[in-house]
Amino acid sequence: MTRKFVCNRADVPANGMRECDADGDLKVLVANAGNEYFACQAVCPHQDVALCEGLYDGAVLTCHQHLWQWDIRTGAPIGLAEAPLECYKVEVDNDSIFIVSPGTLDVGELFTGVAEKTLAEINALAKREEFPQGGTLYNISDPADDFFVLESGRVEFLIGRDDRTSPAGFMLRKGEVFGWAALLDSQPLRIAKATCLERSTLLRINGKQALKVLEADPASGYIVMRRLSSLIARYLAPSGAK
Amino acid sequence: MKIQLNARNRAYQFAAAGGERILYAGLASGINLPYECGSGTCGTCKARLVSGDIDDLWPAAPGRKYLKHPGEFLMCQSEARGDCSLEVANFVYNMDPGACLPAAGRGILRSPRLLTDDVIAFSIELAAPREFDAGQFMVMQVPGVPGYRGYSMANFERGAKKLDFVVKKKPGGGASEWLFNGNIEGREVDLFGPLGSATFFPALAKNILCIAGGSGIAGIMSILERACQEHYFDQYSGDVFFGVRTMKDAFYLDELSRYRNKFPQKLQITVALSDEEVPAAAAQRYPALAFDKGLVHEVAARHMKGKYQNVRAYLAGPPPAVDAAIRVLLLEAKLTADNIRYDKFS
Repeated sequence: MTRKFVCNRADVPANGMRECDADGDLKVLVANAGNEYFACQAVCPHQDVALCEGLYDGAVLTCHQHLWQWDIRTGAPIGLAEAPLECYKVEVDNDSIFIVSPGTLDVGELFTGVAEKTLAEINALAKREEFPQGGTLYNISDPADDFFVLESGRVEFLIGRDDRTSPAGFMLRKGEVFGWAALLDSQPLRIAKATCLERSTLLRINGKQALKVLEADPASGYIVMRRLSSLIARYLAPSGAK
Repeated sequence: MKIQLNARNRAYQFAAAGGERILYAGLASGINLPYECGSGTCGTCKARLVSGDIDDLWPAAPGRKYLKHPGEFLMCQSEARGDCSLEVANFVYNMDPGACLPAAGRGILRSPRLLTDDVIAFSIELAAPREFDAGQFMVMQVPGVPGYRGYSMANFERGAKKLDFVVKKKPGGGASEWLFNGNIEGREVDLFGPLGSATFFPALAKNILCIAGGSGIAGIMSILERACQEHYFDQYSGDVFFGVRTMKDAFYLDELSRYRNKFPQKLQITVALSDEEVPAAAAQRYPALAFDKGLVHEVAARHMKGKYQNVRAYLAGPPPAVDAAIRVLLLEAKLTADNIRYDKFS
């Protein structure tokens, strides 16, 4: 977790936003809301459109291209948005605004809102692993012990048997969680094959151990289970018309 | 040719004929591929080629500015040379069973007539009846001008045997110049559609707000036609704002008056003039309509203040007008994004 200077307070209009370069290599959108500042990724996760060209009312950020919207405080998607925004922790020293890069778990859809202590315990279970392009994470009928959080790269899923497999979707956003059979009681075996379409970095977390951590903090466990059920539902049913 | 499409949630297979655009082939198979304009400008139909070869029909398409990574292309401007595998970074679902399935076809251009100095109306006669939803558009290719352009239907009927359009003259626009310059009566054009999600259904059960600039009124006429056929305005209110520069640029005022006179209680229609004061003669000639001075989104914002309960908005017109209206509806009216419908053509 490194701290980076993004801009001065005076650079961000009241209840407005501004795109900034953090240390020259990372584009960040900084938004003001009353006395607070928030920072998130500068481009829309949908089509890479610059979010500073969008609309912001001091609470909700809207991409002007297809009206995806987010809560500026959390990056949580609202309405039509299909993906969250990656948010950064902001620190303000006098007039300077800094961001602290989030860990992969912090941006994971499954874990936003989970108590900090619980998140730290799950983090401690996570093993970071790198896979080459074409690397297989698991096969159909493998035991479903671990789940994964994507840190970078792209992972494809195949369902079926032997050479009669067909693609069943893919993951590409930092923080996306898959292999969630490891968090379910009734799914001891994998139902898909997961392959890296490009060089990918993943966090591997043991499902049983993670569940034990969540059982000790039922409030956080409830949040995770709610998220998990909506995540699974998303792959089952249409999200409705535009 | 077989096209394999990998979406975020699942995979699809569909067939594309030689010379058939990949987007059109997928949509005609009932797969709701991501798209907006269908004509190369918006960039929404971008995909990544995983394997196979494609031909790019319009390397200078404005929508290509949204392509950021190697292998990306616009499905609406590409044909497959053989079997292809592609990937879109969206969740993709099949169309609803009741959706009007888009298809390719031809039609004959009938009764072109100028409505103003730079707006032309015409009909396309179809060989076989077509179903479309109120607010949808077709993409059209005219003889000698390669590439499709999107135009909204202005009429609405079940099993339509003709489609009505209005087009504004665009200097330098190939299709628009062809429509304005030639002897076009009886000429044959290529069509694909219906397309677009800015659609109205009576089951909506909401008050409707329509904000249109110039020839964008076409899709709104279709929505009004359907709503009036169904007596929708007995139950729900309709507020229509039609923006033009001056009275000389206004058209459809008799038709709009007719709609208003059918439902004077709940349907309000306001013509916004951006470039001149409202002439006294306007209100005398069109007593059913209201007139106001200003840009159409400003006029709408003034008249609608405090009247945004249970509202679905339909927007159409030049992109800056649509953007300005979106800004008002999101920031001032606090409408949710799913209640703001439009199809952007750039």
